[in-house]
Amino acid sequence: MGKVKMKRKSTLIDMTAMSDVTVLLLTFFMLTSTFLQKEPVTVLTPSSVSEQKVPTANLASILVSPEGKIFISIAGDADADTKDTWGSEALRKTILDEAVTLYNKQHPSNPVQLSVAQREAFSKINMFGVPFQVLPQFLSMSQTDQDKFITDMTQKGVGIPINDNKDMEHLNEFQIWMRAIYNSGNDNLQKAMKKGEGIAVKADKDTPYNTVHDVLDNLQTMKMNRFSIMTALKTEQE
Amino acid sequence: MAQIEQSDGGKKKKGAQKKMSIHVDFTPMVDMNMLLITFFMLCTTMIKSQTLTISLPSNEKVEQNQMNKAKESEAITLILTTERNANGDVKNDESGRPMNTVYYYEGMPDFTDENGDGLLDNNKLKAEKFVGNDGKLQQGIRKILHDRNKLVLEKIEVEKSKWRNKEFSSISAINDSIYQSRAREIRNDSTLTRPVVIIKATPEASWESLISALDEMQINQISRYQIDNINKNDSVLILDYLAKNPKK
Repeated sequence: MGKVKMKRKSTLIDMTAMSDVTVLLLTFFMLTSTFLQKEPVTVLTPSSVSEQKVPTANLASILVSPEGKIFISIAGDADADTKDTWGSEALRKTILDEAVTLYNKQHPSNPVQLSVAQREAFSKINMFGVPFQVLPQFLSMSQTDQDKFITDMTQKGVGIPINDNKDMEHLNEFQIWMRAIYNSGNDNLQKAMKKGEGIAVKADKDTPYNTVHDVLDNLQTMKMNRFSIMTALKTEQE
Repeated sequence: MAQIEQSDGGKKKKGAQKKMSIHVDFTPMVDMNMLLITFFMLCTTMIKSQTLTISLPSNEKVEQNQMNKAKESEAITLILTTERNANGDVKNDESGRPMNTVYYYEGMPDFTDENGDGLLDNNKLKAEKFVGNDGKLQQGIRKILHDRNKLVLEKIEVEKSKWRNKEFSSISAINDSIYQSRAREIRNDSTLTRPVVIIKATPEASWESLISALDEMQINQISRYQIDNINKNDSVLILDYLAKNPKK
């Protein structure tokens, strides 16, 4: 009886083609991706038929959480030539200085002092929202602690304080920030704010109107009558 | 594919090297790529959000005689409200839509109560909903606004069909801009009867309902609208409406 010899087959699979495909996919994702910005609260924006795109540069966006806490995010020039003066990080520092000076002028008894390291830390933060008095303490925290602090909506020291102040001599903290952003010295940002593209208000679709109204009312008081509202694109059946 | 075979040209020479096969295993490469793809897929936002530009009137006090008053026959006031449960969450109806209600009245409200039963004799307030379109037919508040702005919409429809057929220019950018400027002209044409819409929102109205109202302005090509603060008279109208039409 002759032995039946099984032919040995190689189990090697050629992965080259697979690798090609994955690299292509990877390239696609790398080129199209815009990274999610860290935000203290996730909000679901309402949908609208408007097709205007959100600008990525020279934009101050105001996030209103459902609890009525306010956060601001500042983006500067995207131009590489002006990066050192008006890029996001440099711009944030300028605005911080401006805002702190304004605040200290109005509260001479209780001024806020920031160190160089704290200013540096501020320029790295995408979205901030703490009262001025908490600012030094907040900026000294490590990044993970900052995230933990700012996402806790029950904290008292979270959110920029706002009220229905109409007195332009004694601004509230939100108004100080908005004025500082407007007076940052970056002409492109100022121009965008005048046109209404430089300010974007973002709020959850279920947020009661009176919560958002505070922000709108303050903007009106600051004579920033034109601004944009962030929305999602409406689907066909809506 | 990923191997290189070295052959000696078919001739067998003594002392020649054995046929060699270099095989590169790409499996780890694929693994790594997959991980990177997963990372990028999770980190990207594909849909960029859109914006809606609005301008609000200034908060400064305007002299009574300088005020630009809307003609009574042209004015239509929308009052937005949203039903919420005890927790303050928005209630949804059977079809899953949020329960946003639009009360509206045309012209000036009428507060006469001659028989003294505590109810207004002639409450012009009516309730509607944001329901969008049913095929080509407008429904709900869109139909009301559409009918009020009919003259403008009819004219724009003519331009729109020209724009679709690229009658203005064969270059689509020029075609678009000519259409846009013509549409703007028609929207602001004071010889046509156009409504002036005043949007008011109650404190509990959801942000979404305000955006829907602003959306209706865009859809119905209404150029004159404003967002105003709600006042006592509006509350009186709503309370009176609810007294006459109790909720089921």
